[in-house]
Amino acid sequence: MAFDIGYLVQQLPALRAGFLLTIQISAIAVVLSVAIGMVGASMRVMRVPVLAQFFAAYVEFIRNTPLLVQLFFVFFGLPALGLTLSLFWSGVLALTLWAGAFQTENVRGGLAAVAPGLREAARALGLTRGQYLRLVGLPLAVRTGLPSMLNTCVSLVKNSAYVSAIGLQDLAGVAFDRIASDFRAFEMLAVLLVGYLALVLSLSAAVRLIEHRLQAPFRA
Amino acid sequence: MTYALDLIADNAPLLLIGLRATLMLASVTLLSSTILGVVLGTLATVRARWVRLLVALYVETFRDIPLIVTIFTIFFGAPFFGVPLEPFPAVALGLSLWGGANGAEIVRGGIQSVQKGQREAATALGLRPWKIYLLILWPQALRAVLPAFTGLLALIVQSTSLGALVGVTEFLKAGGLIIERSTVMQGINPAFEIYGFVLLVYFLVCSVLTWLSRRLERRLGRSTTTVRAPDAARL
Repeated sequence: MAFDIGYLVQQLPALRAGFLLTIQISAIAVVLSVAIGMVGASMRVMRVPVLAQFFAAYVEFIRNTPLLVQLFFVFFGLPALGLTLSLFWSGVLALTLWAGAFQTENVRGGLAAVAPGLREAARALGLTRGQYLRLVGLPLAVRTGLPSMLNTCVSLVKNSAYVSAIGLQDLAGVAFDRIASDFRAFEMLAVLLVGYLALVLSLSAAVRLIEHRLQAPFRA
Repeated sequence: MTYALDLIADNAPLLLIGLRATLMLASVTLLSSTILGVVLGTLATVRARWVRLLVALYVETFRDIPLIVTIFTIFFGAPFFGVPLEPFPAVALGLSLWGGANGAEIVRGGIQSVQKGQREAATALGLRPWKIYLLILWPQALRAVLPAFTGLLALIVQSTSLGALVGVTEFLKAGGLIIERSTVMQGINPAFEIYGFVLLVYFLVCSVLTWLSRRLERRLGRSTTTVRAPDAARL
């Protein structure tokens, strides 16, 4: 079966919709997971009882279980607890929880790199722990942790393809559907390979650019 | 709770079949990823620039394409090249290509962590390039890559769950079958209990591997600069 450009053009609207869904899901999950990362890292670094241990366990659990199973658990399992989410929000929740664990580690690494003198100084000035985090710790932590945080975001965009497994029509979902219904594997697989490669490579390039900019003050 | 335990006990044979397939898939993948990783990782350290470039291209490609897309591409794309693949070999191939890319990065890091003077001394002694690798670089790199490869194995075990999507009855798929069967035969939907149990088993297996990886890193890290284990975000 030859490569049929005409077929591909015909499927463009559907693929475009899938691509937009990929972006949409990733964008929401990126924002939420960074928020989890900030909170989780703060709890761990400040050694808040119970919550610090909770976040440590959460990170370990997410890192040591497959994303696909987490996704199935959220979509098929959580309704038993009365938490029935739409396909879309199940996908968002699973990706958020997954990336949130890595962001917690990333921000924690950043917070740990903040010079201890700054925290002592903040305490001497009478700043509360919350004020220290908000005004001193987190801004600095984000700056040092940004490269790894952005890398996690790129991984999140890449792994958003997993949501096609529960039937969401993201870029991968649309393509897999067409393969099943039209038997045109060639065209669709080519779109997927090129599409994701382009997406991830351009995001990685953007990350490197930001990294470079951030290093500016430290270059001679 | 007891109902969930009963359900798992009743379906133990199916779960064991799934677990066996998962471990089989992980072993095959580990083996081929290691071979591919050693070959590519070594090629990434040779003098010729174009060889290094090609390896870098391979590594980037397979790390940037979602693994689910790689596996679907192989499974659905193979028939178009006249070689239809069964689910198991298709998944094993996809995972190996991906694992090989990650393994190559580890091996490259390991070889580069060997002190430069070692290679220079070997060259000065007139050893042939292949002997330099075989006798000098690989043995020393082995210590550096051991923790990272253990970490990679944990990732491989996790990624075998993708086999469920193309019809390999591995552990996740076995869980899915039990849920389906209970829904049809008994009219109950134990998705929460079964998938929860599946998560727990993956967690136990992978935690042990992660723990081992960290321990090795602490042990070997005292005398060698070890290579960092790949992140689970890499899946």
